[in-house]
Amino acid sequence: MSTAILARPTLGQRVAGPIVATFEFLRLLATRPIGLAGFVGIVFFIFLAFVAPLFVPLRNDPSLVDIYQAPSAAHPLGTDFQGRDVLNQIVYGGRDILTVAILAALVSTFIAISIGSVAATVGGRLDTAILAITDVTLTLPKLILLIAVAAILRPTSFVFLAVILGLLQWSSLLRQVRSQVLSLKERDYVEAARSLDLGLFHIVFREILPTMRSYIVIHFILAMTEAMYAQVFIIFLGLVPVSGSNWGIMLYFAQGQGALFYKDSIWYILSPILAVSLVQLSLVSFAGALEDIFNPRLRGA
Amino acid sequence: MPVLSVRGLSIDYLTRRGAVHAVRDVSFELEKSETLAIIGESGSGKTTLAVGLIRLSPRGTRVATGEILYTKDGMTSDIRKLDDDDLREYRWAECAMVFQAALNSFNPVITIWEQFLDTARAHGIKDKHRVRERSAELLDLVHLDARRVLPAFPHELSGGMKQRVLIALALMLEPQMLILDEPTTALDILTQRSIIDLLRQLRQRLGFSMIFISHDLSIAAELADRMITMYAGRVVERARVEDMFYRPRHPYSLGLLRAVPRVSGALGSVASIPGSPPDLIRLPKGCSYAPRCPYAIDACREAEPPLLKVDTPEHEAACIRWQHVAEVIGSKAPLPVAEKLA
Amino acid sequence: MTAVPVATKPVGVGWDPRRYFGGFWRHPFARAVLKAVLTVWVTTTLTFFLIRLMPGNPVELKIDELIQTANGALTYDDAKAIASGLFAIDLNAPLHEQYLSFIGSLLRLDLGRSFLSSGTTVTSIILAVLPWTLFSVGTGLLLSFVAGIFLGLLAAYRRNSLLDRIASTGGSLVSSIPNYNLALLIILFAGVQWHLINFTSMRGAYTSGLEPGFTPAFIADIFYHAALPITIYFLTPLGHWILSMRSATLSALEEDYVTAARARGLSDGRIRTAYVGRNAVLPLVTQLAISVGFIVGGAAVIEQLFAYQGVGKRLLDSVTQRDYPVIQGVVLLTTISVVVANLAADLLYSKLDPRIGRAGGAAG
Repeated sequence: MSTAILARPTLGQRVAGPIVATFEFLRLLATRPIGLAGFVGIVFFIFLAFVAPLFVPLRNDPSLVDIYQAPSAAHPLGTDFQGRDVLNQIVYGGRDILTVAILAALVSTFIAISIGSVAATVGGRLDTAILAITDVTLTLPKLILLIAVAAILRPTSFVFLAVILGLLQWSSLLRQVRSQVLSLKERDYVEAARSLDLGLFHIVFREILPTMRSYIVIHFILAMTEAMYAQVFIIFLGLVPVSGSNWGIMLYFAQGQGALFYKDSIWYILSPILAVSLVQLSLVSFAGALEDIFNPRLRGA
Repeated sequence: MPVLSVRGLSIDYLTRRGAVHAVRDVSFELEKSETLAIIGESGSGKTTLAVGLIRLSPRGTRVATGEILYTKDGMTSDIRKLDDDDLREYRWAECAMVFQAALNSFNPVITIWEQFLDTARAHGIKDKHRVRERSAELLDLVHLDARRVLPAFPHELSGGMKQRVLIALALMLEPQMLILDEPTTALDILTQRSIIDLLRQLRQRLGFSMIFISHDLSIAAELADRMITMYAGRVVERARVEDMFYRPRHPYSLGLLRAVPRVSGALGSVASIPGSPPDLIRLPKGCSYAPRCPYAIDACREAEPPLLKVDTPEHEAACIRWQHVAEVIGSKAPLPVAEKLA
Repeated sequence: MTAVPVATKPVGVGWDPRRYFGGFWRHPFARAVLKAVLTVWVTTTLTFFLIRLMPGNPVELKIDELIQTANGALTYDDAKAIASGLFAIDLNAPLHEQYLSFIGSLLRLDLGRSFLSSGTTVTSIILAVLPWTLFSVGTGLLLSFVAGIFLGLLAAYRRNSLLDRIASTGGSLVSSIPNYNLALLIILFAGVQWHLINFTSMRGAYTSGLEPGFTPAFIADIFYHAALPITIYFLTPLGHWILSMRSATLSALEEDYVTAARARGLSDGRIRTAYVGRNAVLPLVTQLAISVGFIVGGAAVIEQLFAYQGVGKRLLDSVTQRDYPVIQGVVLLTTISVVVANLAADLLYSKLDPRIGRAGGAAG
């Protein structure tokens, strides 16, 4: 009987487990309409940004005849100040923005988790030092710094931009990770692991972090929204060398080229506004539903 | 005329799974200057009952049936029928309830003095000097220094001090009735002793009636005149305190008494009650204690037994085999906890 | 100092610095001040390095620019000397000396001079625009906070009612939209499409030509011009305040002391303000402190859109004009303001919550 308990899960069990969990998750999500809408929104935009460009050809040759055309069958969202199709730009415009957002969120989440757990588990002077640095970074006016840094460093690569954004964001998550790990450190199962002499690395990554999984996912999503905001912010202000035509660049040109003021050009400025806002809304609603679902007190209530 | 007369009170919690019958058809009476102990384990409904007596039940609770009759100066009113203003008047001026774990009964961001003042003002006493004098008087009664306690914030006081302050506050409007929910549970044993002594002193001096709720039998032995044991929302036995300790007639009461270890004597004399309380949404047919009862017979599972008068005066037990219980006791030595009554 | 000697006092090791500072350190206010100073110092050092040491740093760029415009008439050293003057630093001195003199001039509140008009000090430039930002951001934020607390409390008390659902969902919806998008939408619809507001006349901080002063006309005018920015600063964080206050109130309502207060017969009104409200608002004060930095930063894009001459717009202008002393000055001053605002919020919190910062504890 004892061997049955320790037996490794069969392949069938290993596959079935996550599938059942996913269905359970979707069922819980279905009871929360706003969160569900958010989830659908995220899926839609990921599809639009990453999959659609594979099927829709890029059409960005300027055509002076077609400047600021009203929406028509050929151009469902009209054209921009250079006669290019707006819908096409929207389809191609999400890729860069979302990639940078995801990368930045990964960077900040990674820093927060690793340094936060180390600070909490090691404790002592290292912990105090890390905490001091984090507190300082937390109070810094990040957007102002971002403007200054972008102006001086002039990042041309999106990866570089993502790293900068990630470096500005990790403070609040780090504090929360640290306090969670601190409180979990005292729990029984960690004591048990320690008494089995399982080593620091193991304790952190195998015992403590898995329980914080939901927590981390929610923060990743919120970090994405912050990164998106900051990114479009500096692109819109023209602080980053503009290349390509992502949503932020569309906003920059639309505002600069006076698209605000012509009746026919309204979609050129409105569609990136809607795209960015809807992605933000979807992310926030989904994160809110996740918080609800992962809160054991409210589940099943 | 008893000060409080509860008749057939039933309280349900409304949950998604169904109605939880937390208090079922409870009746008892409280005479003037009498102390009644309500004893039961967690989930027996005792706190729900207490909170229901001042109509402070949380959202989602429904008082299904019953009357709560309160008498003062010859006039009786049904608490369930009071309107909001009269209810606020009733609370504290007539019946003061001191909650479990006084630790969190005070607003942490304002001083104790302000909370005394709030209470006084809520009952129409506006003169600050009067309140000041009265507060000092009350704190003196509970052996605390008003000059130290009143300007303090709650977190600056120890658990025992806070419990005393709560008792002092409870007596501010000279209520006829005091309800204490687990007054000593969160305290260390020395503080428990001092609180029990304090309550005894105050009762003698001021003559209020007291109901206290506990799972701790020893406090009942110290302070109570009469006792009620509750199980699964029902009153299963009602008796004078000596009868309850020396001559219990319900298997649950007997089980409770046996479960208390004695300071002197063999270790083997302790026995816990096996099993756990029933699901209050779907109660089993028949006596709710039957599944755990060592004396249960088939008849017990047919119908819920009503409170039956037993062989000693003012004593009822909800068990059809109470005579058997009497025999079981008769053949054994006096029960451990009874030593405290000496 | 009395003349009577304290006879039995032992002659100790003398003043123990660790114990002295230890006591000082434990006082939360001292800790907060230290943290504030540290933050400003970090920003200062960061700015120093950004401007002087990064590849393609402004100093080198300026020297190159000077050499190019002079068309060979200027040697590197001459150009360096001119740049030295412009940046008000001695480029020939070793790095650590440059750093110290930089800190020194900061402490004297000398932030250098603007590149564009070497007669104007950076400090005077910033002080000219700072009040506008403080006014608009401050008003918007304060109104937002107060409204949010009020609505959040109401929403919690009337949980799941229509009011609750509108406030919570509506608030969170509006707060998720980035502030620049919100601003664009307002300009687009209220201004251009529906002609509800006269956008062009509302730009700028005040109508040019109007005599500044404490006259009612002028004051009305600045409110007119600040109306749109204030609206944005009001709407953007509103949802967060509502939701936070709502959840804090719901937690407070479940506390034992609220039930105990009702058992004492206290009125619902009194409980709502002094028992529930005062406890629920505490975590929000901390959040307010943290949000100041974000909102001040976000103000830059709003000021740009509405051509409102505040600190943010000035920063962006100096970026376009490559006026590095001003950029540096704005970063430093903004950091200082944010840090001071945080300190003020910390102080406020410690006043509101008596459990913080008291050396005592439970006695006897």
